[in-house]
Amino acid sequence: MTFFTVIVRGLMRRPVRTGLTLVGISIGIAAVVALVGISRGFEQSWSKGMKARGTDIVVSNMGNALAPKPFNSSLRDSIVSLPKIAATCGLFVDLTSIESSSMTIVSAREWGGFAWQSLNLVSGRLPKDAMEPVVVLGQNAAEVLKKKLGDPIQIEAKELTVVGIVDGGALVENGSVILSLPLYQKISSNEGKINIIDIRATPGLNEEDIKKLCAEINVLIPEARAMPAGDNVGNSQAYKFISAMSWGTSLLAVIVGVLGVMNTMLMTVFERKQEICILLAIGWRRARIIRMVLLESALLGLLGGIGGVMIGSIGVKVLERMPAIHGLLEPDLSPRLMAISVAISVIVGVISGLYPAWRSSRLKPSLAMQG
Amino acid sequence: MAHIRPYLMKQILSDFGSAAVFEVTGLKKNYDDGNVQALRGVDLKIDQGEFVAITGPSGCGKSTLLQMLGALDSPNDGTLNYRGKSLPGLADLAAYRAKEIGIIFQAFHLLPTFTAVENVQLPMFESDRPASERKDQAISLLKAVGLEHRINHFPTKLSGGERQRVAIARSLANGPSVLLADEPTGNLDSENAHIILDLIIRLHREQNMTLVLVTHDLTIAARASRTIQMMDGRILSDNNATS
Ligand SMILES: Nc1ncnc2c1ncn2[C@@H]1O[C@H](COP(=O)(O)OP(=O)(O)O)[C@@H](O)[C@H]1O
Ligand SMILES: [Mg+2]
Repeated sequence: MTFFTVIVRGLMRRPVRTGLTLVGISIGIAAVVALVGISRGFEQSWSKGMKARGTDIVVSNMGNALAPKPFNSSLRDSIVSLPKIAATCGLFVDLTSIESSSMTIVSAREWGGFAWQSLNLVSGRLPKDAMEPVVVLGQNAAEVLKKKLGDPIQIEAKELTVVGIVDGGALVENGSVILSLPLYQKISSNEGKINIIDIRATPGLNEEDIKKLCAEINVLIPEARAMPAGDNVGNSQAYKFISAMSWGTSLLAVIVGVLGVMNTMLMTVFERKQEICILLAIGWRRARIIRMVLLESALLGLLGGIGGVMIGSIGVKVLERMPAIHGLLEPDLSPRLMAISVAISVIVGVISGLYPAWRSSRLKPSLAMQG
Repeated sequence: MAHIRPYLMKQILSDFGSAAVFEVTGLKKNYDDGNVQALRGVDLKIDQGEFVAITGPSGCGKSTLLQMLGALDSPNDGTLNYRGKSLPGLADLAAYRAKEIGIIFQAFHLLPTFTAVENVQLPMFESDRPASERKDQAISLLKAVGLEHRINHFPTKLSGGERQRVAIARSLANGPSVLLADEPTGNLDSENAHIILDLIIRLHREQNMTLVLVTHDLTIAARASRTIQMMDGRILSDNNATS
């Protein structure tokens, strides 16, 4: 018999209680995996979307809303002449409800701008001119909105026609309703307004150069902020809020997990009081008792963590397939996130075991004689 | 079990010289902030290889005295020496409990989630022997108490007499030189009580182990070479007083 057998026996003496505790931690860790995975996935899919559009720098004013704040399209004129800028493209991107779908990305792009070039037609065609009352749909958007070529689609108060289905190379692009900027400005009464400027830098610039260029742009356009495409979403207030919410909720779930494990360990130590005293009476060191309790709760944490990662991953996969959010979600379930989650769970286990371990190590061996 | 002896004797000689096993003077133990005086000044000397029975009415302090000898609790006053060294002053009491003494309780006190052979191995974690060696040793101890056919049984599947035999095997796990037994036959029918008592006395003789046995049963006490009678936390009589 090894010491590990002792640990396992300790957990197996009340299989139902151990099982329920494991379910408790698993749900907490599943929440961590799901919430953090989704919010990080959200961040990553936005920046992938930018890259797919061929964008190096994004100029926008990410206020407190999910979509950036509009500004005058004339602001763009003040930067086009900067030497390291190869091309610019004004956009108006909004998150709105379209027909049956509650959250759809509407991406209106400057007619002739480079953001159109990355779209690969799967079927149909692109708009013929800037004011033709038509849209093209990303593949996922077409699926979610249940639209095919020739179908009408209601945007703001106007009925437009679907003329093309495109593959935009990234989830955000594929989940978007894409139309011409002047058309959208007109139907949404945002004439002369944009909320994003995509900038393509001259080839060969490194990360440092891009950052410098951003700084130059920020001087010229104080109304908005220029950021390297990858950082853009991570720096938005809305994303920060979502991220803080998901970590906050995760923290709550973890605290509930700690209390659950601590309660279980206190109960097990309490009901094994006499056994612990017997072990002390037959020569076990207090350090060994502490180690036994801590290893038991760490093992609870480890098993709960593995269970939680499994439940969380499956849950996110199910969520991803739900019609309401299908095509909007590309969760980041990286091995790193999973490893961190399991590690958090083991730490939860150890922390929860500290007090019960301390309590049990203070028992007197003479109590073994009683009862 | 012949292999226990040389290891044991060597340790006794190196660690504790040749003084008396226990030398107790003026030993006092209070409970409940002094409201209960369980031991009111006990003087006692026990030599290597003795079989001492401690008797007396319920509540007179027998178990308390045994707990002091086994370092399960510490006295409030008096001196308590083990082989010439102050027992409460030992730096490593856990090692003393694990290796110097074996302890047997009235209620057996096996751990219910471990099989017979695992229960016997529990004290061995405090030695550095490898797991396989610990198991072999536990099996041979169970054989020595006549339980080779019950090795993998859990305590609930064993009779009272069998449980006490497992407990005896466990008390011998690290080759102690002193056996402390508190009413070891108190929970057994008379037939099993006899078998267990015979076994304990046989082990005491075969291994020259010092045996201190608490009992209120005078027929059991009669088998000891020396009987100490207690009353109200004091020694009333000692038929072989050496101190
Ligand atoms: N842990 C304890 N707390 C309080 N009182 C105790 C404790 N252990 C023993 N006593 C008291 O000390 C006295 C001696 O007890 P004990 O040594 O168990 O007697 P015996 O074993 O001779 O029956 C009794 O009055 C008992 O109630
Ligand atoms: Mg007693």
